Amino acid sequence: MKELVSQATTGHLTIRIVRTWGTFMGFLLLLIVFSAIRPDVFPSGRNLKNIIEQVATLAIVATGVTAVMVTGDFDLSVGSIASLVGIVAALLMKAGHGTFISVIIAMILGTSAGLINGLLIAYGGLSAFVGTLATMTAYGGVALIASNGTTIFGLPENFRFLGQESVAFIPVSVVIMILSLGVVYALLEQTTYGRRLYAIGGNEEASYLSGIRTKQVRFLSFGISGFFASLGGIVLTSRLHSAHPQAGSPFMLNAAAAVFLGMTAFREGEANILGTLLGVLIIGVMGNGLNILGINSYVQSILTGIIIILAVLLSSVAKKRA
Amino acid sequence: MVVKEVLSIRGLKKSYPGVMALKGVNLAFKAGEIHGLIGENGAGKSTLIKILAGIVKPDDGEVTILGKSVQIRNSKDSSRNRLCFIHQELNLVTYFNAAENIFLGHSYPRRLRFFVDWKRLKAKTKEITDALQVRIPLDTPVSYLSAVDRAMVAIARAFAVSGDIYFMDEPATALTDIEKEKLFRVIKTLKSQGKTVVYVSHNLDDILDITDRITVMRDGTVVECRETLETTKDDLIRSMIGKSLESAFPSREGKAGAVVFKAGDIHNESIDGLSFDVRAGEILGIGGLVGAGRTELLETIFGARGKDSGTFTLNGVPFRPSSPRSAIEQGVVLVPEERRKQGLVLSRSIYENISMMSLGDISNFGFLNHRVIRNRSEEAGEKVRLKCSSYSNHVGTLSGGNQQKVVFAKTVLQEPKLLLLDEPSKGVDVGARFEIYSIIRDLASRGTAVIIVSSDFNEVLGLTDRILFIKEGRMVSLKDNIDMNQEKYLNCCYGRDS
Ligand SMILES: Nc1ncnc2c1ncn2[C@@H]1O[C@H](COP(=O)(O)OP(=O)(O)OP(=O)(O)O)[C@@H](O)[C@H]1O
Ligand SMILES: [Mg+2]
Repeated sequence: MKELVSQATTGHLTIRIVRTWGTFMGFLLLLIVFSAIRPDVFPSGRNLKNIIEQVATLAIVATGVTAVMVTGDFDLSVGSIASLVGIVAALLMKAGHGTFISVIIAMILGTSAGLINGLLIAYGGLSAFVGTLATMTAYGGVALIASNGTTIFGLPENFRFLGQESVAFIPVSVVIMILSLGVVYALLEQTTYGRRLYAIGGNEEASYLSGIRTKQVRFLSFGISGFFASLGGIVLTSRLHSAHPQAGSPFMLNAAAAVFLGMTAFREGEANILGTLLGVLIIGVMGNGLNILGINSYVQSILTGIIIILAVLLSSVAKKRA
Repeated sequence: MVVKEVLSIRGLKKSYPGVMALKGVNLAFKAGEIHGLIGENGAGKSTLIKILAGIVKPDDGEVTILGKSVQIRNSKDSSRNRLCFIHQELNLVTYFNAAENIFLGHSYPRRLRFFVDWKRLKAKTKEITDALQVRIPLDTPVSYLSAVDRAMVAIARAFAVSGDIYFMDEPATALTDIEKEKLFRVIKTLKSQGKTVVYVSHNLDDILDITDRITVMRDGTVVECRETLETTKDDLIRSMIGKSLESAFPSREGKAGAVVFKAGDIHNESIDGLSFDVRAGEILGIGGLVGAGRTELLETIFGARGKDSGTFTLNGVPFRPSSPRSAIEQGVVLVPEERRKQGLVLSRSIYENISMMSLGDISNFGFLNHRVIRNRSEEAGEKVRLKCSSYSNHVGTLSGGNQQKVVFAKTVLQEPKLLLLDEPSKGVDVGARFEIYSIIRDLASRGTAVIIVSSDFNEVLGLTDRILFIKEGRMVSLKDNIDMNQEKYLNCCYGRDS
């Protein structure tokens, strides 16, 4: 944490604190407000566990998107990849293949879908936005065709393990979430690969001239995003114990929103894993709290949008004051 | 003649976390004078100018213009007070053309109130560039212009609207002597019109040449202010760095060894059949005018630019750099021409930038060894006299000259076989410049071959052993650097062999 705070090197102390910790304080405020309004329901252990289980899949997907957004790229296709992977795994299991092997094959497919994004964008020269917009549509179409547009039920019982069971009272999905966050955190902060991602995000030309294989690094980042989108898709399918061709759609915007929210926290304007986790939690707590208050989901979307704008505004105002 | 003070500054203070950039500066500029502002890297010159431009907010202090105290809160305020600026760092919108950049921030000429009058915009731009006697392509986005043209666009910006006081923060670092002379002519015209020019530079010869008075800053304070006529270069150096420099360049020593690098008949879009070699321990200068292909030659050797035909040899074996990466792996490194564009990731820390080229060597199986990275970066930084309050600060918070030292420090970590230098001392103060030259000499004496391109002919004459003159990508002559002087040098650049 000391390391993170010292990153914000300009401006006066209070502004620096607002800038690095403002979003986090906003999150605490959300917790306090919901707890104050519904002290009986919201802060209960059961509900908090519920929130974490609800956000686990989003967190898994968002970790991968973080890696892509560190370089300044963008991945719109994660929702479609998650859906597609769920459908493929379900079809394989329905066709009588083992649960484990079905999951592995579907994951390989999803990761390859990510690498195809990387190929188009890093080597083909498409902008990340256009490239993943196109593949989002295409992968989504494949999921619809493969499933005939319907939900696939009747998956094997042992497939419930990833999304619905617990080991030593900790839900397996939460364990996967923590592992995903941990792995990508280590990747971004402790490896040369992570350094190179951040360097490219700061100045691609200078990175290239410093001997970084910028194309390869960007290509791989889309593979990472594809991998975690697939993992999220599998856990989601297991949790629902059914596969729907559009089950992953909300990931697209929510994952990006979480990373953007995270960019306002801890570090200035840079995607980072702790920030992404915070972003995911904010989205999760908002959804859960507003549900408890009985506010309808359309209003919820409006409020989520407002929260994102507020967080970004707050951090940019703090930046200007420096 | 009574000359009144047009602008005076009293008690100006500005602190950043860890440093006080200005510790209470008092200064006054007179009408009709060219005022030199000098000082070591990080002394606070640019901070002072940015405050007057309304870009940086001071903590304390008073600015008085023509006897009236003024508040400068933003760039509107400063242009209302008729202050014009050329900033140290080019802040151009790369996909705008020259005309759009020059008038950016001022109002574009308009038709029917809302529509940009492109014809008039272009005509006005032409007026400005004609006054500067330069020809800049007006329809191309500036990202396609040469570094010199881009610098000229930044300079032209100061003349988009007329003013009374012009602040020029190292405007000439990217220029060759020819453009520089044009700029000086404009500066003298301004002076004759009774306007004031404040000129920041590390080129003390220029400072002595064009200014009337000189202010020296050190560590955020004004050390002294002198009449130029009563000052020598040695005086200036002593008050800048606190001691004299016996010579500007380290002495040449040792003999050139075996041939390290050899280029045979290189061709591409900017180079037309160059052949030469560089020996271990030798520093080869590339002489020539802007557009001669000097930067392009270095980029070709570094693998950042392809070649159509020809061969390179490094230590006797064929050298085929397919990318900067492969060049670096084979021991060839480049200090690129434009530090902010090509050399630095401004939003990352100093030690990350210094270690960027050598990450692979310092890490364990892809995992970072933070302690080793920090130590080695700090070592390299100290060698080039980098001044910073912490190595974890962003490079963007450093002064211009210190940023340049970071770019140089990156290559020091490498112990290269062939070191390519494109304007390596741009913006670096005299003391640190000597340090950098010593490092280059030292690397050379330990067997590194060095090729250097510089628009500062003193640097080429003082540092190199041989000079390869090129024009339009072709070799004009190859000279041993003995009894060369400015005149001979320029003649060779023009291809007028003496
Ligand atoms: N945004 C910033 N954040 C933190 N420190 C800063 C920032 N800008 C400048 N500084 C510090 O203020 C001091 C003065 O910097 P300034 O750019 O004014 O120096 P300078 O005299 O222009 O040097 P140079 O000759 O290298 O251009 C330096 O120590 C620099 O690191
Ligand atoms: Mg400066």
